[in-house]
Amino acid sequence: MDHRLRDLAERLDAGLIARREFLRKAAIITGGTAAGLGALRTMAGAQPKTKLRVWLFKSFVTNANDVLARHVEAWAKERKVDVETDWATFGDREPKFVASIEAGSPPDMAEMHILGPTRYKAALRDVSKLAGEIARAKGGMLPFAETATRLDGKYMAVPRYAMITVFFIRKDIMEAKGLKPPKVYDPDVVEFARKTQDPSKDLYGFGQTLNRSDDGDGFMENILWDYGGGSWDKEGKPALATSFREPNLKALQFAVDTIQKHKIQPPGVMGWTDVSNNEAYMAGKLVTTNNGASLYYAMVAKKHELAPKTLLVLTPGGPAGSFVSASCYNWAIFSKSKHPELCEDLIRWMEDEKRFTEYLQVSVGQAGPVYKGRVDNPYWKSDPNFEAIVQNILKSVPYGHPGPMTPAAVEVRAQHILTDMAGRVVSAGLSPEAALKEAHARIEEIYKIRRM
Amino acid sequence: MATRAAHVQANAELNGRVTGPRGGLRRLLGPDYRLGYLFVVPAAVLVLALVAYPFGYAIYLSMTRKYVGVPPVWVGLENYVKLTFDGFFQRAVANSFIFTFGSVAVKTVLGMAMALVLTSNIRFRSFFTGVLLIPWVAPTVVTALNFLWIFDYSLGVLNYLLVRVLHILPRGVGWLSEPGTAMASVIAVNIWRGFPFFGISFLAGMKGIPAELYEAAAVDGAGAVLRFRYVTLPGLRNIVIIVLLLSTIWTFNDFQIVYILTKGGPGGATQVLPVFTYEMAFGAQRLGEAVAVALYMLPALAFVIIVLARYMRRSRTA
Amino acid sequence: MSRLWIGRLQLAGAYGFLGALLIIVLFPFYWMTITSLKSEDQMRSLVSMFWPSPVVLDNFRQLLTRTDFVAWFGNSAIVAISSTLLATAIGTLGAYALARLRFLGRAFMSSAVLITYLVPPSILFIPLYAQMRSLGLADSRAGLIAAYPSFTVPFVTWLLMGYFESIPVELEESAMIDGATRFGAFRRIILPLAAPGVLAAALFAFTQAWNEFLYALVFITDVKLRTLPVGLSTFITGDVYGWGYLMAGAVLTTLPVIAAYIYLQKYMVEGLTAGGVKG
Repeated sequence: MDHRLRDLAERLDAGLIARREFLRKAAIITGGTAAGLGALRTMAGAQPKTKLRVWLFKSFVTNANDVLARHVEAWAKERKVDVETDWATFGDREPKFVASIEAGSPPDMAEMHILGPTRYKAALRDVSKLAGEIARAKGGMLPFAETATRLDGKYMAVPRYAMITVFFIRKDIMEAKGLKPPKVYDPDVVEFARKTQDPSKDLYGFGQTLNRSDDGDGFMENILWDYGGGSWDKEGKPALATSFREPNLKALQFAVDTIQKHKIQPPGVMGWTDVSNNEAYMAGKLVTTNNGASLYYAMVAKKHELAPKTLLVLTPGGPAGSFVSASCYNWAIFSKSKHPELCEDLIRWMEDEKRFTEYLQVSVGQAGPVYKGRVDNPYWKSDPNFEAIVQNILKSVPYGHPGPMTPAAVEVRAQHILTDMAGRVVSAGLSPEAALKEAHARIEEIYKIRRM
Repeated sequence: MATRAAHVQANAELNGRVTGPRGGLRRLLGPDYRLGYLFVVPAAVLVLALVAYPFGYAIYLSMTRKYVGVPPVWVGLENYVKLTFDGFFQRAVANSFIFTFGSVAVKTVLGMAMALVLTSNIRFRSFFTGVLLIPWVAPTVVTALNFLWIFDYSLGVLNYLLVRVLHILPRGVGWLSEPGTAMASVIAVNIWRGFPFFGISFLAGMKGIPAELYEAAAVDGAGAVLRFRYVTLPGLRNIVIIVLLLSTIWTFNDFQIVYILTKGGPGGATQVLPVFTYEMAFGAQRLGEAVAVALYMLPALAFVIIVLARYMRRSRTA
Repeated sequence: MSRLWIGRLQLAGAYGFLGALLIIVLFPFYWMTITSLKSEDQMRSLVSMFWPSPVVLDNFRQLLTRTDFVAWFGNSAIVAISSTLLATAIGTLGAYALARLRFLGRAFMSSAVLITYLVPPSILFIPLYAQMRSLGLADSRAGLIAAYPSFTVPFVTWLLMGYFESIPVELEESAMIDGATRFGAFRRIILPLAAPGVLAAALFAFTQAWNEFLYALVFITDVKLRTLPVGLSTFITGDVYGWGYLMAGAVLTTLPVIAAYIYLQKYMVEGLTAGGVKG
């Protein structure tokens, strides 16, 4: 067979040209002879449709999932590609990634959260060109998105959106007592909680677990930063009980005090999982809590009676400011994929502003901006509560702050080191100094292992 | 016992007869080697392919440093050594022992009581037997989620009952939030799910004890307690051993109940080995060490199995 | 005290104990069921705790029409039934060989039967998945059907070993005197007699397969091929639990197995009797 025909066939296979173009060019090559066209027809007909495996997050925002699915389907139809999507919830995703990468058969591309690129770096494809192109078109990446996806100078993923936590307040209770939203944890939140709670009626001022959970881990990270501390220093070395010992001790003491000393938290809070504070708030038992915007979505979507009575504000801070750990959902392409150009094409399609705005409109605040150009999207003005979401995102910092987001930092978060530390003080009665030292030793160990 | 010996002897005679192929091969491989191997090959292939091979690979992995997507690096016994001195691993081992033995002990007593009651003079025996099997039959995921809802501090029905209906307690208990009650709670759920297996196995065992033995004991003047001690228990000895063994292994490896209820919290109070392994594998993503955790206790358990299996076979052919 | 009164007291004690057990066993199912019949608001508030008012069928209706529950149910049925047939067949043959036939390696294999349980699935599944991939069985129900016997065959084998050992040898003997082959005696005499044991073993294998979660989660990515436990877990997304769906799904997942057991429990007990329990 003429090598030009074969080249054309390969390009058709890779989806770089459409069928029509293939036939046109091929017709020219074969001179349009009947025999040539006949051969072409069989060849074209025998082309199996290219198949792409795409793994997506199943979000609790069911409408957004539908929009996402629709977009993918539209792309598949347009490019005449077979797309096999897998939807998995956050918890189920990790075992599947690990198993499929180890088996040597990961999907072509996947939607990941902020830990993904760092974790699976070894199996991912360098998408610097694509990321740069999309970022430029959208006014540049926000700094946390940059940190999350740019590893060793290369972009291993393309940021998509950020799902951030905010501070929820019962507006009605606050206004009844003539109060204003608290700006700092100590003493504002403590005062606020004391004045608004009523334990006899099962209403508590602040609901923040220190148990192993996203809520707990997030809060612990934030409070350490709020006091000027943290687990890592600027160079990415462990600093929990060394250079940041003083601020960390204060922060840890405060966290524990909310349960033991100030008594502004409901009993049983140490046993909470991620869903517990959502349930408690919606049952009217909490005046304030920290949570992802998922709680807001849940109330709005179900037309819960507390939805109009809820105020979202910036997460309170500490002496060193107010910090929120970043979130960054992103697209990653696996290096084993046979169709990387197709994947890149899909990512461009999904991030197209018109389509993304469509997704944004149904997300009820879940799809926060990761590009500077998206910050001013009018959607964010459509609900006064969204202001807090955007502001929190702009303030957010990735794990490892003030240092880089290293695999060690990712693992420390994944291993619940900070919440275990808090738990040791609250439940096992350890002194904060001892717990801090213990946690530091664990961080040191992880740091050592990850460097080898 | 007498019938047992007769069986074995008959068995031997049957096998002594020339029923299989002749010749030296037969002497080497046993008289029934053709049919024997044929029948056993499917199971052997299954076990070799789906258990032995992955197991071998796991042993190899446990002696490497392995991250996702990166080739393994041989480190010998380093993972095991590090684990031995790791405080968190030690705590996980302790928790696993508490969880397993606490649970198995209660399941044994409960199962024995259940079997005794079901062999007594009650009516509707089949109905009770069937219904009492239900916890063992339901999917663990469902059971765990159910109890998560029941144990919830504010919205759960357990606290509701204790505080508002029965007025036993002034306020609810944080079943899953206090370290002491958290361990008790997960043990309770494991007991709830597992006791029917004990019950029905013991029940079956009791049915196999010849009635004459009870009559003889009764004639000798033994009351219910003595009959239980000297007839029932010895008759159940083998079944008790095997059920205890199986349940210990299964309880030791139980992952879903603890993970769904507490994820190992609060503060690691219910961190048992399977949860520790899971988090090491998918949280920390250090696969080599995760496998080492899972395999750490294996030699001890295998030793126990072999010893007990030998003991049981010997008493069988006695 | 007179014999009669002791007897009555014992009986009362037995019924009392059974009653208590029954409450403990049934309460969670009762709770699960009434939760599935409540609406979201009813669940959140502590009103109508013990009986939903009004009873709401929405959860079931939405579960069956808006989710893939029916597909999950079908997949679970296919995988559970097929793997059970496979495991029972393999286990029965293996058990007979280990109980009756004499060949080299028999003693070792008899002891080794239960050792496979030492290896936790939470570790096995990574290399197992790689194997399935290379065999082309990943992401298919066939892969699960092939993998499930790995943890059901040992128990089936062990159970039936004891069962076969308790069947008098004379039966096969007389069959073979009459000219039957070893295999023929097995097929026409022993198997029918072992039916209760085989049924008990099959029930056990079915339950394990129906409830299995981890392998089903990892091996299957095609949403149309999901099994029930994995499907149910998709109602938990992050920190938003779809309790209504979950409980309704839980009820429908558990009912068939419970029904099967209540109906067949007699055989279960009979099958466990004489099987591996002889002193």
